[in-house]
Amino acid sequence: MKVIEAKIVVLGSQGVGKTSLVVRYIGKMFSKHISPTIGASFFTCNINLENARVKLQVWDTAGQERFRSMAPMYYRNANAALLVFDITSVNSFQAIKGWVKELQSNVPEAMVLSVVGNKSDLQQLRAVQAAEAAHFAESIGAHYVETSALHEPGIDQVFLSTASALLQLSPSLPSLRSYDSEAEDRVPAGMPTEEDATHTGKVELPAWSIDSIAHGQVQKSCC
Amino acid sequence: MWFGPNLQRSYKYMMFASKMPSLRIDQSDLKCKNGCDYFGNPQWQGYCSKCHREQMQRQRKAEKASSATLPKPEQKKQEKGLKLTSHSSFSKFEEKRLRQSETLKKANLLKFSVFKKSNTEDHDHSSEKRPPEFKIPALVNEGMKSEFRARFPQLPAQVDRDARVFVHSFIMDVIKCANVMTVDELSERVQRQYQRFMKHMDTSSHFANVDSDTKELLMDFVEKHAMTYLHELPSVVFSPSGTDDERLDRAMSERIQQLSWVGERHLECKLDRSNAECRTLLYKAISELLGMDSAPGPGGKLARVRRACRHVLRLCSAAPASADDLLPALIFTVLKANPPRLVSNINFVTRFCNAQRLMTGEGGYYFTNLCCAVSFIENLTAESLNMDKKEFDCYMAMPASIGGSSWAAALSLCGAAREAGEQRGAARRLLQHAADLQAAAQQLASNALSFEEQIAKKVQDVLAKTPLEIKPRRELPRLGKLQEISTAPLIDLGTSTDREEPQPQPVPTSQPQPAHTVPVEPKELNVTLDPPEDEPKLNILGFEVIDRQSPSKSPQNLDQTWDLKRTNSLELLTPSPLGFTPFDSRSIDELMTPDDFGNDQLPPGLSNINYDIDLSDFSGDNSIAEDAPKSEPKDPFSPDALKKTQTFDPFAPQTSRGYDAAIDSFDEFSFVDQKHKETDPFEVVHRGQDPFSPVEWNVDLGKDQFRSQSPAKQSTSILDDNDSPTTGCLLPSPLQPQSSGRPN
Repeated sequence: MKVIEAKIVVLGSQGVGKTSLVVRYIGKMFSKHISPTIGASFFTCNINLENARVKLQVWDTAGQERFRSMAPMYYRNANAALLVFDITSVNSFQAIKGWVKELQSNVPEAMVLSVVGNKSDLQQLRAVQAAEAAHFAESIGAHYVETSALHEPGIDQVFLSTASALLQLSPSLPSLRSYDSEAEDRVPAGMPTEEDATHTGKVELPAWSIDSIAHGQVQKSCC
Repeated sequence: MWFGPNLQRSYKYMMFASKMPSLRIDQSDLKCKNGCDYFGNPQWQGYCSKCHREQMQRQRKAEKASSATLPKPEQKKQEKGLKLTSHSSFSKFEEKRLRQSETLKKANLLKFSVFKKSNTEDHDHSSEKRPPEFKIPALVNEGMKSEFRARFPQLPAQVDRDARVFVHSFIMDVIKCANVMTVDELSERVQRQYQRFMKHMDTSSHFANVDSDTKELLMDFVEKHAMTYLHELPSVVFSPSGTDDERLDRAMSERIQQLSWVGERHLECKLDRSNAECRTLLYKAISELLGMDSAPGPGGKLARVRRACRHVLRLCSAAPASADDLLPALIFTVLKANPPRLVSNINFVTRFCNAQRLMTGEGGYYFTNLCCAVSFIENLTAESLNMDKKEFDCYMAMPASIGGSSWAAALSLCGAAREAGEQRGAARRLLQHAADLQAAAQQLASNALSFEEQIAKKVQDVLAKTPLEIKPRRELPRLGKLQEISTAPLIDLGTSTDREEPQPQPVPTSQPQPAHTVPVEPKELNVTLDPPEDEPKLNILGFEVIDRQSPSKSPQNLDQTWDLKRTNSLELLTPSPLGFTPFDSRSIDELMTPDDFGNDQLPPGLSNINYDIDLSDFSGDNSIAEDAPKSEPKDPFSPDALKKTQTFDPFAPQTSRGYDAAIDSFDEFSFVDQKHKETDPFEVVHRGQDPFSPVEWNVDLGKDQFRSQSPAKQSTSILDDNDSPTTGCLLPSPLQPQSSGRPN
């Protein structure tokens, strides 16, 4: 079975329910097939798709504006991002647009983006129209899901769609770590970074590269 | 060590790796770009190590100069802070802590300087030469072995071996590169090493049955051991020499001190200071953060951070503790903890922790949070605290001690308390150690005493047994007697010597005599005091024995007494049948032989064998030896007429006897001479005495040489042939034939 490890970062303004979303998902899935690492802002969960397993590391971030400048540290090397906004707050939706721009300019690799409109239970206070959000999501190539951390519709869908998108993306994602879980005939599938390293690594490692010594003087004497 | 050659190869390979594509490399391609005669290295941009370092230094200086022109806000604040906080008690704590860490570092540097120096020296000398093999203490290896067994008992030994090989090569590589590379390059290199090990684990057959979780554990295991060792070396991986880490540490520590007035209110984190549980959590978090500095290896530091953050998370009372709460609380904790060498630690982990681990996983997440907290503190402004700029400046201008509440003071004391606790622990350990040492010393002393007693007992036992053996030795005196006996005949020879070399010989004889006599006496004493008294009787005995042997071989017997003496000599001479000279050798041999040999000499066969060996040194002479006796008479004649007459005289015992009375003083010399009047010039006599007293023998030889040489030049050609008396002494018989051959 193919296994993919991915890092997913949850971005959004303060108070949009990022953590609630995650906690709700983890808490709900806990009884099923998910083995979460207990911790309030960092989780790992395994999502089993039909022919693969996706290991998700969920990094929650602080949404306060004053910590905004630190965000790059969090989303560095992330493979997916959940952009969470509050459907009752236009500002939070605008903030999402800012996040997307930042990600696009700062992250060189392709990322799986998901736009999540949270607090869908507060329909009467809705300030951001679903169509508008969906349109925006489509423009950036992202899924759009409306969720409610309170009533938990859509939450599964967020993570499932992210996982399957990651699976599709995995062949083209260099930083995504994937391998076969079959221990017997394990081939280092992904990990081009390792591939790069082995080239230079061979050069440096004595025990595994004994024959490959290039020495000019020796060559000379031969001829 | 068994990985030595591999390392060597790898080094070579590294040096020329960039040249790989072209099959032939001219030697000039390998030289330093600067044109000095040393070899260059692609790692050093084609320079030799020396030129490269110079280049690097120039670059760094330029960078510093450019950066110095830009005013650094931090530095300004530092100065201010120093003035302001100099009288606060809290700042004293901090200063002490800083000083401690610095002195610690210096001490480490001193320890390490031996290695460093040798390394740099070698690089200066020539880049091609490898630095002296730096031995990684066996402790690392042993530690790995034992821990591996404890942690991965199910894994095969091959894995253990691979891990250790990797750690060793890794450490060596880092140490080698540390001097030449910038920190970032080194960090990259380290990361590549980690990845290579991962790759190795994925591909090697040894790891086929290892699941991925175990592989990660193995990775951590390897990283931990390699980095723990490197961490101890100052300025290699931890706050390396080329970086500003140390200065930044100080700046950060001062900055945090300045911000000690910042409370949870400013950071908008919800802490319940009245809650005792909350307080203990905070204390725990603080002490974990403080412990980060003392944890060796990035993994250990990361673990500390993780634990600290978990405490902080629990601290956030909000039901689903989110990152929104975690970060402010963590910032607050860091502010209160003011961990020592914070920047250095963070940089160390960032650079040298396995990137895979740092990017992912809980530790990575919390570490990222810590980095955020630090960068937040660095860039903290009035806006980021949501407060008025004036108020902020006012707080910043305030002495640190005033800004803090009692709660803040208590928190700041937390660090001191922890330190005190640690030191108490250290003191206890030291005490225990001292006690152990004392106990060991006492044990050792008692052991020494008992050992001494045992030895004394044994010695007494041995003494009790041995005295019996000493008495039987009296048989030996025969040798001494024999020697003395021989001395008596020497008188005869002495006369002959006088004839040959009247002037030179007397001088040597007179001086050497005392020396010779002294050595002879002590040995005699050892054996038995009797010999001198018994001399006459013993002499007779000795002669008797000799007589039995001698008659068979002595070809020419003019007189009975003479014959007896001759016989002795002849036995010795048989191998080299030079009539008279053999006699000398014989006498020498007798002297040479220890007391036991004296006894052995009585049986003829044994004595013959011994002499053969001695003479064999001059192989050519030996062959001549049989003819020699016939030629002997001729030889002495040929060199000098005087000698010829002398040689003849000895044949006639009467003449020699007449001289005996004249030369009493030469007894010892004559000892040999008596038997061979011709040999006298060689002063073989000395040898005979020498064997008894080896030490004095040398001295005598020295004297003899001078003396003998001078006389030889003056009087006799024979002496000339044997330049050194020693050679003459050793092989009296061969000498004669040689001399004879030349003159003839």
